[in-house]
Amino acid sequence: MKPLNLLALLLFLGGLVWALTLSESTVREIQRGYYAVISPFLTKGSQLETHIRGFSDEVQTSKELTAKLAATHDELGRLRLVEERFQQLEAENSQLREALNFKKQSPFKAISAQVIRRQPSTWWRTVIIDRGEESGVRVQVPVLGDKGLVGKIDQPLKGMSTVILLTDEDCRVSAKVEGTPEVGILSGQRGQFDGSPLLRLRYLSKNAGVRPGMKVFTTGRGGLFPANVLLGTIESFETGTFDAEALVRPSVDFADLNTVFVLSGEVQP
Amino acid sequence: MIRYTFTIILLLLIANIAQQFIPILPELANARVLLIPLVFLCAAVTVNYSSMLLLAFLCGFLWDAQNTLGPHGGDATVYEHPVASLVFGYSIVLYALMGFLMQGIQPLFRQGKWHFSAMLSGVAVFLYLLAEFLLINFVRGDFVFPAATRYQILYSSVLTMIFSPLVFAILFKLAKLTGYTIRYDGLKKSRTRRFILHT
Repeated sequence: MKPLNLLALLLFLGGLVWALTLSESTVREIQRGYYAVISPFLTKGSQLETHIRGFSDEVQTSKELTAKLAATHDELGRLRLVEERFQQLEAENSQLREALNFKKQSPFKAISAQVIRRQPSTWWRTVIIDRGEESGVRVQVPVLGDKGLVGKIDQPLKGMSTVILLTDEDCRVSAKVEGTPEVGILSGQRGQFDGSPLLRLRYLSKNAGVRPGMKVFTTGRGGLFPANVLLGTIESFETGTFDAEALVRPSVDFADLNTVFVLSGEVQP
Repeated sequence: MIRYTFTIILLLLIANIAQQFIPILPELANARVLLIPLVFLCAAVTVNYSSMLLLAFLCGFLWDAQNTLGPHGGDATVYEHPVASLVFGYSIVLYALMGFLMQGIQPLFRQGKWHFSAMLSGVAVFLYLLAEFLLINFVRGDFVFPAATRYQILYSSVLTMIFSPLVFAILFKLAKLTGYTIRYDGLKKSRTRRFILHT
């Protein structure tokens, strides 16, 4: 081997050892720097996509749009009623909690965000949203969709954040099955990259009375997700040697994820 | 040589930005064109050993900066079984291995048989993705290799390989602009042979 090549190899190995032994915080700093550089391009790309989508929307007939507008107005009216009712219930709940001397639960503030990049990596199920630290987004806070839990924040950055989806193997949620005392850990499955992947609910008891169609909610344990957020519906149930597990169809349509809500505030069990 | 390597670094940075705009193709098992590996593989066969290592380090570093996930967090008593993830820097090793593979057929490339390198770039992307997925299996346990993943790897490799002649054309242009000679031994030999035949 030529001396120059040997020197290059030694330098490469030195750099490799340095990279492999970086601390978690240093890696995060590197990632922040990286995303700070590419964020303008991501934003521009997202704007371009929005323009294209806007153009295709304009192509739709005005009749369709009028019908959609009317339906949206109806829905808005209904949601206003629901919100009013919700506020009444919240006030009543608060009064009752105070009366019972319960610890006051921190109210959650939901920040709406748009998905600007879908699945940027090959193997991880992640998306990038257009809200970052300046909007109050913090690491590992829950992200919700209109139909249930979407995932959690992996990395809040300046002007954007990466969200690890519920369908990823790395996003685990303490979950309970409605109508049963069963509690397990719900996570995505490796290698499932189609539009409607199933989740796996593990560590259930062998004689759990879990049936297809039952709903699965968060337990609120573990300090990551608030309680009673819908996760999905039981699709099938299998018993193993020591425990049992169920396959769960997520409540959120991950193939059509556009607007999400990031919760800010403390998660309390 | 230095100017050529510098322009390749610039090309890799441009490829990194362009990669952000390349969507996945749900119709093809969520495959996508992997532009950064492609530029690296094509460049690896045109440069010397030390430049290839430099490019491998840069590509692996950028790749991991984009894709490394953070820790799961949460209460360890509830989330008892942590899911292991790939550490920052593993891509540098994989890129270097792919680079060595491409350097192995450099003699053929220098003979003017660039199409071998183009095909090998597809093979190298396939091996890269396969190695990455097997590594995930290794660190997380429970070996799984579903058909969807096999197709994703296959389609991504083929899609990426299709664009390799274009990248080679850009690299030849860059070499010309920077005055770098990608040694074309094949052409030299044929000229020499012609010269011998004439005399």
